[in-house]
Amino acid sequence: MYKTTGFVSFFLRRLTGLALVVYLFLHMWVIGSANAGEEAFNDRLDFFQSDFFKLMEIALLAAVVYHAFDGIRLLIVHYFDVTDQRKSMFYAVFVVSAILTVVGGLPIFLYMLE
Amino acid sequence: MMRIFLLQRFSAIALLVFLTLHMIVLHYPPFHIDFDNVLERLENPVWKAIDIAFLFVVLVHALTGVYMVITDLDRLARYRGLITWISVAVGAAAFVYGTQTILAFQAP
Amino acid sequence: MTNVTIRVQRFNPDVDQKPHLDEFQIELTQGKTILDALHEIKEEQDGSVTFRRSCRHAICGSCAMNVNGVNMLVCDAPLKDFVDRRGRVTIRPLPYLPIIKDLVVDRTSFWEQYQRVKPWLLPPDDVPEKEFRMSPDEVKALQDAEHCIMCGACYSACQVVAMSKKYIGPHALLKAFLRVLDPRDSAPGERLTDLDQGDGVFRCHTIFNCIDACPKHLNPTQAIETLRKLVMKRQAFEAARAQRQQSLDQPISVE
Repeated sequence: MYKTTGFVSFFLRRLTGLALVVYLFLHMWVIGSANAGEEAFNDRLDFFQSDFFKLMEIALLAAVVYHAFDGIRLLIVHYFDVTDQRKSMFYAVFVVSAILTVVGGLPIFLYMLE
Repeated sequence: MMRIFLLQRFSAIALLVFLTLHMIVLHYPPFHIDFDNVLERLENPVWKAIDIAFLFVVLVHALTGVYMVITDLDRLARYRGLITWISVAVGAAAFVYGTQTILAFQAP
Repeated sequence: MTNVTIRVQRFNPDVDQKPHLDEFQIELTQGKTILDALHEIKEEQDGSVTFRRSCRHAICGSCAMNVNGVNMLVCDAPLKDFVDRRGRVTIRPLPYLPIIKDLVVDRTSFWEQYQRVKPWLLPPDDVPEKEFRMSPDEVKALQDAEHCIMCGACYSACQVVAMSKKYIGPHALLKAFLRVLDPRDSAPGERLTDLDQGDGVFRCHTIFNCIDACPKHLNPTQAIETLRKLVMKRQAFEAARAQRQQSLDQPISVE
């Protein structure tokens, strides 16, 4: 295995990407209960808003934010000549996504405690 | 191949906008989601249009992504044509199902 | 006087089921390269250690190996810089390629992909009587890609190559970049069409391993990004090239 920052970012990009695809179809199935009417929707949504799923939502946020910023990094690489800064950009993506996950996860966590 | 790359890239840029909007509207500040408060927003046809566009873009991005992951592998690369058609079929089915769901939010 | 443990990955296809590491003790002296250490092992300790080498000054591209997990030319690598905390240096063959014996790998796919991009210049029908002229800017745009020595360090570091040997690979894409951007080349359109294939330039996932691995500090990733942009505006680029070739024998005006 050729372990570089590039490999780590690629691996995480794929991992979060595939996880998000699985989530997308689950998400569509959960909301799809609306086709069966208001009660079915409310019942299923109640189940998926328990404490456990709230915690999972923070993990989801982390995956989304990382995948998004990794994508922004690739856009920057495509449109500007910045391959020399590849290492610092890699770490910047990590720092930014960590900060945003904490900032975005805190309200969800506090709401869960209520 | 260029087409798939461009589809993925432009859907990615669109998703940056759509997903930010989606997260802010539905999760911040956090609240208990039920049929009524989703309906409140989706009664507006503009929101319905936005959500359908969002659904389309997210499916394009997800399926091009999965397509790239699968066709990266040596052994599966020869089924490239088949994989393309399965992706399109899955995408179309999911789009119809999701649009139905969005349109199901009607005031009784 | 300090000793270093050199761990060499061994594999003899006639005897071994899978590769294993052999340890050798080498004296660490000033100015000794990893290739020198390998020579010392072969001459004084175990004559059966097999590896490729030729020029010993980083221009033939024979001795690319994986040292402590990183691809490099061992003739260009001072031994003292690669001793890890436990006083060891680990030498393996280039990863992701079939091993022939010990540190020698089968580079067939590497050369096949190289052939595929037609690495030679396709000149226009009307060759000027004296010489082709290129402007300094046109030379600069090639980003020294002609310095590539075909050592295979980038190819074997590439994660996409690891998954599929059908992928063209950074070395061939860098060469294609060199030919496409060369104003003397008359077939950039055909080249770009081939690069648009499923295993071509869009299969790169911008992992940057090729830049990290290149012993000549070239930049295949940037070349690939440039090629992607050119594939997207292929026709305009072809027209501009045809236009440019009208004046290949004209003097370049430098402002």
